[in-house]
Amino acid sequence: MGMSFLQASSITLLAYIYNLDRHATQFFGKMPILYGAITGMILGDVKTGLMVGATLQLMSLGVANIGGSSMPDYIVAAIISAAISVTTGKGIAAGMAIGLPVGMLTMNLDVIVKLINSAIAKKAQTFANRKQFGKMQKMIPIATFMYPLEAALPVFLAVVFGKTVVESILNFMPQWFTVGLNVAGGMLPAVGIAMLLVYMPMKRYGYWIIIGFVLSAFLKMPVLGVALLGCAAAVNQFKNENTHNTNVTATMANLNKEDMEDE
Amino acid sequence: MSEPLGKLNKRDLIKTALRHYIGVSTYNYDTGTASGLVWEMFPALRKIYKKDDDLVQSLNNHFKFYNCNPWLSPLITGATLAMEEKNGIQSLEAVQNLKVGLMGPLSGIGDTIIWVMIPTILGAIAGSMGQKGDPTGLFLFLFLWLLMSFTRPYLYIIGYKSGTNLISNLGDSLKSFTDAISILGITVIGSIISTTVKVNVGWQFVRSGVKVNLQDILNKLCPSLLPAIVVLILYLLLKNKKAKMGWLIVGIIIISMAGAAVGLFKA
Repeated sequence: MGMSFLQASSITLLAYIYNLDRHATQFFGKMPILYGAITGMILGDVKTGLMVGATLQLMSLGVANIGGSSMPDYIVAAIISAAISVTTGKGIAAGMAIGLPVGMLTMNLDVIVKLINSAIAKKAQTFANRKQFGKMQKMIPIATFMYPLEAALPVFLAVVFGKTVVESILNFMPQWFTVGLNVAGGMLPAVGIAMLLVYMPMKRYGYWIIIGFVLSAFLKMPVLGVALLGCAAAVNQFKNENTHNTNVTATMANLNKEDMEDE
Repeated sequence: MSEPLGKLNKRDLIKTALRHYIGVSTYNYDTGTASGLVWEMFPALRKIYKKDDDLVQSLNNHFKFYNCNPWLSPLITGATLAMEEKNGIQSLEAVQNLKVGLMGPLSGIGDTIIWVMIPTILGAIAGSMGQKGDPTGLFLFLFLWLLMSFTRPYLYIIGYKSGTNLISNLGDSLKSFTDAISILGITVIGSIISTTVKVNVGWQFVRSGVKVNLQDILNKLCPSLLPAIVVLILYLLLKNKKAKMGWLIVGIIIISMAGAAVGLFKA
C-alpha cells in the first residue's frame, strides 16, 4: 500500500503540531499511542497505528524531558513506525527499524534548536534595552514556531523515503535482525522503568514495588486494578502523615527511626 | 520612583495566563525559558510600569535564567506580578530571590508528578490495552490529561492572589502529597514490570530424550523473573554507575540481536 501526497503531508503536519504542542501548549502530553493511532487513521488503518503506538508508549514509560534535557523522541518514533508498518504491511518490527533510530537522532536536532534559541533570546533582550518593545514581542515567538521543525523534518524525510529504504532492508534482512528487534521491543520498556525508579524515593517506599509486582506477576491483576489499590494506599499514607504532622515530637521520633532503618 | 504604578485586573491575568501556554518552547542553554517568561508577562508589566526605563529594568530582571516546570510556573509568575504591582522596581531583588528559590522545588514536584508519574501510570494502562487493539485506555489518558491542561490558567490567579504566602502554607501538605503519590507510583511500577517488559528465553535442553524448556523452569520459579532482573540491573547501572540512557537503549538493542542470533532470546 502506497501513500498519497495528501497523506504524507498530513503526517508531516501532525508531527509539526505534536512538537508545537509538546513545547508550548502541552494539551496532549506524552502520548506516543495517540499519535500512532492518528497516523494510522490518516493511512486508513487505525488498529495497526494504535498497536504500534501502544508498543512505543510502553517503551517510553518513565522517560521524561526533565529540566530541558534531550531525550529520544518516542512520539516521532511512533509516527514514523506507524506509517512504515501500515504502508509496508510488514508488522511492527519493520516500522520500528526506522522509527526508533530516527526518534533517537531527533534529540541531536534538539540541541541545535536550543542553541538557535539562545541567539533569539539575546536579540530579544537587545530590543528590550533599546525600548523597541514591539520588535521584542515579535522576536520571541519565532522560537516557538521554529522548534516543531525538529520533529516535522525527520518525519517528512522518513515518511517519503522510509518505505523504499525499509523494503530494500527487509529484502536483505537476516532473521536475527527482525527477531532481535522484536526482542528489543519487549525489553526496552525496562530502561524507562529503571530511569523512573531512580527518581522515586526507593529508600523509603521501595518495598511497595513488591506488592505491585506480586499482584500482577502471580495474581495476573491488570495495571488499572493495581493502580486503584495503590490509590487506597496513597490516601492512607497521606492521612497518616498529616496526623503525624500535628504531633511534631512523634514525627521527629518516627523520622529518626525511619532513617536508622534505612541505613 | 514617585511615578504611580498601574493596577492589574482579572483580564490582564487571564491574558498573561493564556500567553503562558507558549511554555518551554523558548528554552535555551543560557537562560532557560526566560524569554518565554518575558513574553507572557510583558502586557502586564507594561501596565504596571508607566516609565519606559523602569520597564526595561524589570524586563532585564526577567531575562535572567529561569527554568521551572511549566505546569507549576504560573504560581511563581503570578506571585511576582503581585509583588511588582505593589512595590515596582524596588521589589526586583525580592522577585529574583523568589524565582530562584521556588523554581527548583516546584520543578521537582511538577516534573515528578506531571511528566513522570501520571504519564507512566496512564501510559501503562493505555499501552497494555492498546497492544491488544483496545483504545479504551487511550481515551482515559486523553480525557484526564485535557482536564488537567485546562486547569493551568487558574494557577495564575492563585499565585497572584496568595503571593508569597502560598508555598510556605502549602509546604507541609505538599510533602505528604508527594510521598503519598510516590507510593501509588512505586506500586504501579511493580505491576508494570511484569505486564510490559517481556524477556523470553528460547533455549531448550535435551537430556536422555526429555526436553527441558528453560523458560518453563523460570516461570515456575517466579513469573516475570527475567523482566524483574533486567529492570534491577538497569536501575543499578543508572543509580550507581550514572550510565547514560541513550547507551543503555543501544546496548539493549545490540544484546537483543546477539541473543536472537544464538537463539537465547525469542520474540
